[in-house]
Amino acid sequence: MASIDVKSEITGTIWKIEVKAGDKVAEEDVLIIIESMKMEIPVLAPEAGTVAEILVKEEEPIKEGQLLARLHT
Amino acid sequence: MAWEPEIEELRRRREFAEGLGGEDNVKRQHDQGRLTIRERLHSLVDEGSFQEVGKLTGQSTFEDGELRKVVPAPYVMGLAKVDGRPVAIGGEDFTIKGGIAWGSSRRKGGQGGFVEDLARQYRIPLINLIDGSGGSVTSAQRRGYTVFPGVHGFEQSAALLAEVPVISAVLGTAAGGPAGRAILSHWSVMVKDTSHVFAAGPPVVERSLGEKLTKEELGGPQVAVDKAGTIDNMAQSEEDCLAMIKRFLGFMPQNVWEAPPVLPASDPPQRQEEELLSIIPPDRRRPYNMHKLIGLVVDRDSSFEIQPSFGRSVITCLARLGGYPVGIVANNPMVYGGAMDAASARKQSHFIDLCDCFHIPLIYLVDIPGFMVGSKAEEAATLREGMRCVYVGLQATVPMLTVVIRKCYGMAGMATCDKNGLDMQIAWPSAEWGSLPIEGGVAAAYRREIESAADPKQREQEIEAELRAFSSPFLTAEAFQVEDIIDPRETRATLHRFIEAAQGRLKTTLGIKHKAGVRP
Repeated sequence: MASIDVKSEITGTIWKIEVKAGDKVAEEDVLIIIESMKMEIPVLAPEAGTVAEILVKEEEPIKEGQLLARLHT
Repeated sequence: MAWEPEIEELRRRREFAEGLGGEDNVKRQHDQGRLTIRERLHSLVDEGSFQEVGKLTGQSTFEDGELRKVVPAPYVMGLAKVDGRPVAIGGEDFTIKGGIAWGSSRRKGGQGGFVEDLARQYRIPLINLIDGSGGSVTSAQRRGYTVFPGVHGFEQSAALLAEVPVISAVLGTAAGGPAGRAILSHWSVMVKDTSHVFAAGPPVVERSLGEKLTKEELGGPQVAVDKAGTIDNMAQSEEDCLAMIKRFLGFMPQNVWEAPPVLPASDPPQRQEEELLSIIPPDRRRPYNMHKLIGLVVDRDSSFEIQPSFGRSVITCLARLGGYPVGIVANNPMVYGGAMDAASARKQSHFIDLCDCFHIPLIYLVDIPGFMVGSKAEEAATLREGMRCVYVGLQATVPMLTVVIRKCYGMAGMATCDKNGLDMQIAWPSAEWGSLPIEGGVAAAYRREIESAADPKQREQEIEAELRAFSSPFLTAEAFQVEDIIDPRETRATLHRFIEAAQGRLKTTLGIKHKAGVRP
């Protein structure tokens, strides 16, 4: 079982968290939505797998490159 | 029969050339999942079309006056046809001393090599199949002196970029000269897992900086393609790579004095896609799939994306519209909300140059909130790269058409229109534009009024609502400041009519494009 780090590509605020630990996700499923540049920018699952943990909370400000979640594939 | 011994010697010498670096070295190449240069050539070019040049080059050894063997020069090249079109093509033979520079006074390939003369003199595309590690310090021992950098003929490599399509595939580990040669191209590609490209490899890096890195960490596609954009595209395998070369070449003319190849329309230009009507979410904060939108507008399966993993807030692809080649520049709302950052600006600048050089009309599908903002963006020189992109767009003279899908704001929005030509903007009903988006702009422009209001938040919203009343695209269209607003389903047919009409202009403005001025 491989673990995949999901990082933010942009500085912004966590707008919505769409999944929780234990959820099964398909590749390109929306995990988290970041509010940045006045847009709701989705963070997509890079591969299919299971959500191992979510490391941020809604409304939390985040930086580019920050670890948001881990997936197990 | 006269000349029998000589014909026999010719046959043997050709056999040595076919044998490359010998069975063991060929096996080693195969074991690493890589093809030999001759296999690469034969799988890429039309069957039986390879006319080799310089097959007899190499170093012979004699025993008792008898030819024992010839070690071929580690570069194979010549003329060939790809999809019926003549090209100049060549590549290093890695099975002979890792494809290092051969050190003859006349070079077969690489910067200033004969294969480049072929491409330039005959005005045909050049395809470099790169698999070599460049110069070696050992050549100094052989020559008795060190060589000044930049062989004579290097200027040819630069001149080619204004004249014929130059395609480079990195098919192994390329450092130094061959790595540099790959960059001096209109389009470059490397192969996942088996290709690396860097100015200098791990041993030099460790000696210079003490950094211990693998070849993959230093110059694998994750660095060279995704992060740095040094190489344009990544192929999944060598076969995939050769197929991509054909696809890219399919959009290119033979040279800048010819128009790019038009194919019979494979897909009705009048096709209307209902899905275009619902692709833009009514909530303007929601992104959507711009790749899908492009696919619905251009000829089915015709799109070939350049640099898909670098500078992803803009999508650049070659495609066809009713068979006519076009270059698509589309902002991607999924990445940075479509804002232009330094990477996407660099990517867009290169793509505009590419299309302008080969007379491929440009279509902008616009949804851009402006330049990327914030400390990271400023440190990356987004403003400078962005204004260079605007400048490159202003220098280009190929016809351009603009379709505003949603946002078009600010200076980055200036990089999406044709100030030298019709300067025509077509908009979807979802379009909005201005010098900056209302939300951010109100807080700045009406700061005093907002701060002195009894309820500043409410006053800000009121002003936003007042201004938004002016932001209907129909009011701009009334003033002929955009030339038309179209039903999204009409996009394909509308663009096709203008692209078709522009063919006459394209055909009468062929040739080299000289550009004056200093790029910012």
